[in-house]
Amino acid sequence: MNLEEKLEILADSAKYDVACTSSGVDRAGQHGKLGSCRAAGICHAFTPDGRCVSLLKVLYSNACCYDCSYCVNRRSNDRPRASFTPRELADLTIGFYKRNYIEGLFLSSAVIQSPDRTMELMIRALRILREEYGFNGYIHAKTIPGADPMLVQQLGLLADRLSVNIELPSEVSLNQLAPDKKKASILRPMKQIAVQNAQSKRELAVYRHAPAFAPAGQSTQMIIGATPENDRHIMDLTEALYKKYTLKRVFYSAYLPVVEDSRLPALQTKPPLLREHRLYQADWLLRYYHFSARELLTEEEPNFDPYLDPKCTWALRHPAFFPVEVNTADRAALLRVPGIGPKSADRILQARRLQHLGMLELKQIGVVLKRAQYFITCSGRAPCHGTRAEIAAALLDPKAFSVGVQQMSLDDFIAKPLPFAAPELHKLTESGMAAGKAARLLKEEALQCVTRRM
Amino acid sequence: MRYQADVRDVAYRYDGSFAGFLCCVFESFTQREIPSLIAAPDAEQLVLFEMRDIPTETEKARRVATGLKRLGMTVYERVAVGFLSCAEEKDLILLRFIRLCFAQGGQAAQMLGHTQVAQAFALERAVNNEICRMIELLRFEEKDGMLGAQIHPQNRVLPMLRAHFCSRLPDDDFLIYDATHKEALLRRNGQVQFLRMERYEASAEPDELAWQTLWKRFFKALTIEERRNEKLQTQHVPLRYRQDMPEMRKDILQT
Repeated sequence: MNLEEKLEILADSAKYDVACTSSGVDRAGQHGKLGSCRAAGICHAFTPDGRCVSLLKVLYSNACCYDCSYCVNRRSNDRPRASFTPRELADLTIGFYKRNYIEGLFLSSAVIQSPDRTMELMIRALRILREEYGFNGYIHAKTIPGADPMLVQQLGLLADRLSVNIELPSEVSLNQLAPDKKKASILRPMKQIAVQNAQSKRELAVYRHAPAFAPAGQSTQMIIGATPENDRHIMDLTEALYKKYTLKRVFYSAYLPVVEDSRLPALQTKPPLLREHRLYQADWLLRYYHFSARELLTEEEPNFDPYLDPKCTWALRHPAFFPVEVNTADRAALLRVPGIGPKSADRILQARRLQHLGMLELKQIGVVLKRAQYFITCSGRAPCHGTRAEIAAALLDPKAFSVGVQQMSLDDFIAKPLPFAAPELHKLTESGMAAGKAARLLKEEALQCVTRRM
Repeated sequence: MRYQADVRDVAYRYDGSFAGFLCCVFESFTQREIPSLIAAPDAEQLVLFEMRDIPTETEKARRVATGLKRLGMTVYERVAVGFLSCAEEKDLILLRFIRLCFAQGGQAAQMLGHTQVAQAFALERAVNNEICRMIELLRFEEKDGMLGAQIHPQNRVLPMLRAHFCSRLPDDDFLIYDATHKEALLRRNGQVQFLRMERYEASAEPDELAWQTLWKRFFKALTIEERRNEKLQTQHVPLRYRQDMPEMRKDILQT
């Protein structure tokens, strides 16, 4: 098997891993080495599914000895298998990196023989890259659940970011679908990474040349829609992970059916992309907007609204909080206004030290007035009085009703619901209604529903 | 302190350099006027005003630059980065912004609700955004033992790419060719030069083509068909940059 085929097989096997970020560490270039890192992260390419390619995302090997039923690489699935050698992988990374195709390496692997053996091979490849080739770019490595803590430590000293996949949002589901993985074997390395990372940060503050352990922190990912957990459960879990293990990111991956199994959704099921999108929106609200998980979802409404984003839903549920006075409110209050994000909140704080802010000024600052205008006052005056229907129309998320032509083949000109559209829209079109008409109908219905709630 | 000035029916012509622009600023203050137009010589515009040639004098430029730096690095950077923009009227926007900052102090740069500040801020942001895009989407190829890349940016981003790529490839020689403005950034033996260049020939070395094929196959393998979303892709990679990216070109591989 030549290198091209290997790369294709191992990239294809790795593509369902979502984490592809290169953020969290700033490192300048150094003579005698190759590469640098930027804390904000750099994406280098975007595939036709709209996801970014920041790192060379491959598996070291896809010959797995486990049999997790949601996974393409499970033992019982019939597909081509391949493994890199450590040097092949290192050469590939350097070649791509020099051409500015990638920001570094994302190395994960199926379990070869045992978790320890797999980790040893991964460490060998990273060692060649870091020590022999002097690679100074970004490395994201995935720890294999159940590996020895010593190996996790070695891996952490070579990589910038580590991740342990939590895979499924509850222990029951994990036992059911991934019998080889145990909750404890996932959480133990996560804790170890959190502890050692904090320790390494303390040491670095005192000794400049102390070894850095996973300086860009750790992340995790879970599959959404394969098991019956609701959004509230997932958000609670996410919040706990951020608080307890100081994770940098939690990623969600909409489940794509890859196998017929009575315990899993049927093969024709569409991936719940809109739900995944809502979860990411809520995740942002947790990390940048000072929301807590329990504020976003209640016991009566444990799932996110498909037609409204989580922030607008919160705003509708708390009319007493509004209007917010832009000239005096603090940052936390500004961030709760639909249409004002962290950037425009900071700009408002900056600008209002020197001038009074009215509608015109806010527009120039870059606030999304379409939504914000109903929730703010400028020097005591409300800039806009909308009827309930108008406000509802401004808040509805157009993404849920998106219809368009995506050319899978050349003669395909019929408008269809786009992948991110609401599941109801997909259902209506499948029952034979034209996509445009279905979208209009659904929008009207959602509009009435939201208006009634106000 | 107030600096009185009227808008006059006069156009400034300068040599297109940053120092030349700073001399225009100097002229505007000494003459107590705001010109109706500031034009670089290569800009072909029908001018109805009296044309005044502004010679570039290092001493004057240095004085203005020092003054700008005294107003704070936010102001200086906004002017310096905004100047790289190729938007029409960028010179006038920046001149008005500079006059406002000199009149009201460096903190005027934070009045993002003020039209003149907002315009200058938009210039700076557009250039910075394009710089980020270029850092993301630029593709090197190996050619004659060094790395070469061609880009088609809208603004003159080359000077701002220097620090990033020199830090990233500390021991490599490379050349970045800006095909829109026919300029090149050349780094050889640790020395950096900015050159005028007429054309750039893409590499045809078999090794290089093999790498591009490899990259293209990797890119293809990563796509999840069930999630196809080309609109999102276009948001991140505008069509105008795709000509320089091997994975977006159709001609290299049709297997």
